[in-house]
Amino acid sequence: MDNLVNEEEISEVAKLMKIDLEDHSAHIKRVQKMLEYFDILDSANVESEEIIVQETDLDKLRNDKHIPYDKNLLKFLKTYQGKYVKAPKLN
Amino acid sequence: MTKIGIEIHCQLTKLESKLFCPCKADYREFEPNTNICPICMGIPGSLPLLNKSAVEKATLIAMALDCRTPDKIAFFRKNYFYPDLPKNFQITQLNVYGNTSIGWEGKISVGDKEIRIRRIQLEEDPGRLIYEGATEKTKLTLVDYNRAGTPLVEIVTEPDFETPHQVREFLNILSDLLENLNVSDPGLEGAMRADANVSIEGDSKVEIKNIGSFHDLEKAVHFEITRQQSLAERKIEIIQETRHWDDGRKITVSARTKEEEAEYRYHLEADIPWVRINDDTKNQLKVHMPESISSKKERYISKYDITPQVADILASDRYFSELFEKANNETNAKDIANIITTDIMGLLDTREKREKSKLDAKHLSDLVEYIRSNKITRSSAKLALDEIIKSGNPLSQIIEDLDLGHVSDEGTLSDIITQILNEEAKAVEDAKQNPEIVNFLVGKVMQKTRGKADPELTLALLKKNLGID
Amino acid sequence: MDLGISALNYVNGIKNNEFTVEEFISESLDHIKQVDEKLHAFLRINDSAIKNAKEIDAKIKSNQNVGRCYGMPISVKDNICIEGSKTTCASKVLENFIAPYTSTVVSKLHSEDVIIIGKTNMDEFAMGISTEFSAYGPSKNPWNTDYVPGGSSGGSGVSVSANECVASLGSDTGGSIRNPASFCSVVGLKPTYGLVSRYGLVSYANSIEQIGPMTKTVEDSAFLLNMIYGIDPNDNTTIDSKNQDYLSNIDAGINGKKIGIVTEMTNSDGLSADVLDANNDAIKTFEKLGANCEQVSLQMVPYTVAAYYTITSTEAGSNLARYDNVRYGYELDSSGFEFNSYISQARSKLGPEVIRRMILGGFVPSAGHAGKYFLKALKVKSKLINEINHVFEKFDFLISPTVPIQPFKFGEKINDPVSFMMIDFNTVTANLTGIPAISVPYKITNGLPIGIQIMSNRLEEHSLLQAAYALEKTVDLPEVPV
Repeated sequence: MDNLVNEEEISEVAKLMKIDLEDHSAHIKRVQKMLEYFDILDSANVESEEIIVQETDLDKLRNDKHIPYDKNLLKFLKTYQGKYVKAPKLN
Repeated sequence: MTKIGIEIHCQLTKLESKLFCPCKADYREFEPNTNICPICMGIPGSLPLLNKSAVEKATLIAMALDCRTPDKIAFFRKNYFYPDLPKNFQITQLNVYGNTSIGWEGKISVGDKEIRIRRIQLEEDPGRLIYEGATEKTKLTLVDYNRAGTPLVEIVTEPDFETPHQVREFLNILSDLLENLNVSDPGLEGAMRADANVSIEGDSKVEIKNIGSFHDLEKAVHFEITRQQSLAERKIEIIQETRHWDDGRKITVSARTKEEEAEYRYHLEADIPWVRINDDTKNQLKVHMPESISSKKERYISKYDITPQVADILASDRYFSELFEKANNETNAKDIANIITTDIMGLLDTREKREKSKLDAKHLSDLVEYIRSNKITRSSAKLALDEIIKSGNPLSQIIEDLDLGHVSDEGTLSDIITQILNEEAKAVEDAKQNPEIVNFLVGKVMQKTRGKADPELTLALLKKNLGID
Repeated sequence: MDLGISALNYVNGIKNNEFTVEEFISESLDHIKQVDEKLHAFLRINDSAIKNAKEIDAKIKSNQNVGRCYGMPISVKDNICIEGSKTTCASKVLENFIAPYTSTVVSKLHSEDVIIIGKTNMDEFAMGISTEFSAYGPSKNPWNTDYVPGGSSGGSGVSVSANECVASLGSDTGGSIRNPASFCSVVGLKPTYGLVSRYGLVSYANSIEQIGPMTKTVEDSAFLLNMIYGIDPNDNTTIDSKNQDYLSNIDAGINGKKIGIVTEMTNSDGLSADVLDANNDAIKTFEKLGANCEQVSLQMVPYTVAAYYTITSTEAGSNLARYDNVRYGYELDSSGFEFNSYISQARSKLGPEVIRRMILGGFVPSAGHAGKYFLKALKVKSKLINEINHVFEKFDFLISPTVPIQPFKFGEKINDPVSFMMIDFNTVTANLTGIPAISVPYKITNGLPIGIQIMSNRLEEHSLLQAAYALEKTVDLPEVPV
């Protein structure tokens, strides 16, 4: 249990992710357990591996053309006075 | 030793569409939230579609700034919450798995100083926040996402600048370069933004953000250097931090540090595969790259025998260098260059004026031809230009309509001179003592003929009349 | 009318005038009304279904060109967008979200005259293995309603298994098609990464997830795959598989093929006794079909669950960041809220499993911890890909039981996070490597289904489906007790 990631760090991360941990203990404990399980990665011996990624060619990319979106997207959004999106006050 | 580094964000306004969707790249003419689609709004299930020309234009910039360019480029997510970010992450570039941004390790000359370019990356612009409401209580934060997804190229320099003036010069040179490359129109509002970082004596680096214009940037850097120097003199520690430029008070102020001190959880943007850019492509781009400003300048000097100052002004301005190239036929190059730099630049000094102008290359070459063949005087030419710009009518018609024809007929001119000599009796007297006064009389003739009189002939006739050599 | 017929037999039934589209749809809707209150496969039923059916019947009658689906009723997981209809991902956060566009896969099926009969239940944002994490209540396994149907495409699995529709589209990030396919005794295929467009699939872990068919038969999966695969200009990660007909030669058999039994996925420690039994039986069956079966070790497999959860938490943490209720979501006036607290309020509507993944997703890629977790996970993924590539130089297929255990009772696995994660043990390898994998119903033991998983190399769906078909043909399973 000593090797568990500490609670404070997890709380800080929750804040970063805009998660308000009202009921702290349940989530934190479970996250700690999951992280503890992830320690298994340390024994995978993969330090020298290169990451493998998907690739494509420049000519497969989208052509630079203006195509106006043909529907009124504002209808599907929450709007203020039908024009803007209202955001909560910023500090 | 003062070290200043600059970070520029330049919109690729010459593109048709946004970086990851087909909405328009130039959002300026749209009503709020009408230049949006599921992709740039981050609607669930939407996927980014990388703009091929954006990659090409950004690569051009990298090449023009003498950067190294990669074989493959990759995109990353910079994760943070902010209302102008529809997805609450920005798709940008990083160099964590090798060099995968559009360019790195470049350089550019600013006067006799070489400024190193650390890296260049492609990324998307966020939307815009608009504040409405008078009081703190009623203040609303409104968001317009028209700009969200606009293609940006971020150019980061090494802290090689030593003075605010160098910074300003650099920004002008970069502006001209980007315009010349036909990737961006830096004059458009908001098209080019810059942040600076300043440190004296190399220790704490202070970043300055929220700078509205290049003019402000120079001021902000200057202020910050002074602020740091005064702290150092009093042996007060200079805190490494981010400061904002307060345009009202013309000072930099400490920005409230965000609780999450920049934890962006960078990771690859898996929806965009790494894009291979092969040597062929790069060579093609290079071959079609517009001629650089310095190369143009050299060419104007050597080929057309134009003075370095005029060549400099002309080459640095894309609009006018294009006009020059189209209008000149080598023999009249010097005159064309002259008219552009002396008269036309002043008449078409804003974007709006240039857009409305009906002047074309033919007008210009005709004008120079008419001046040469004495069909119109140099000073009438200015009036003609005004009218050409307004109406676009052929020069011959304008000369007729405005009666700008050259008065070189000796008879007509003699009559006018006789008139002037009668009106300016005192000057006539003085001229006999002081030959210089004859120029005054030439001026009067020019006035009377509204600039149409041939100045040389006028002078000759006057001298004859007054009996002066 | 037998609502339990396969998609292909449905098409024949319509073509042979055995029944009309309207009749079939109408009876399906009645059946749904009867059983779904208990089973809860569906979140929403399409109230235009009868109207659509009539239109297609009219088309058929007037000898117009009709799409390959002939009006067959298909359900779609509620994380796949259909224009004008709610797409909630079984979350309260998207309670009122109406998709403004249609996903590519559904567009393709629409152009083939499919009828989308409803949207199915799932674990919230596809994070789960049993639908117990749906914000709208779980779905029940039609084989025994005390037991989970699997997840996260649980609702899809139930809808097909209980004959509420002919087929379904689910999504698979770590086993989310194959797991419920195994638990509900239907066929579930996760295609090669990039074979099927993800445009319109609400992202959870975008580097590994795929939409795929859940069907009554292997042929039906091939039939659906034929209509939904292909390069999509709306999805830059789609790849070219060169004009396949996945139905052609599906009965070619597997004589002489080399099958690798993945040691790490089939050892007796990890499997329940009944599943182990079924697996050994399946091996014998494959051998009787003429294949050569041999043990093969994939050394990275024991690390795949940790790698999977690390990578997917990171991607989910990013993909779900947009749900701040500012632009869309549910009703909550932002006046009086400050930005951070408004977002926290919105996200407090996320379910417990999603919240945990958000926290994990903030932790494992963060500057101080990425080296230990996220980067290592990426390297495990890469090493695994290399292993798989090597293994497929020798073998044609790899097999294992789809899930190490049989369906469990509600509440049984939900409290122990590690044993919960281990349920994905056999399935995440295919996601991490991008290879296609299919679950074929194989056995019913103690009244509960067991599925066998077959995997093949990237873009080898054609032969994969042949192997699945061959296995399926040896099996004669009881009917679902619904």
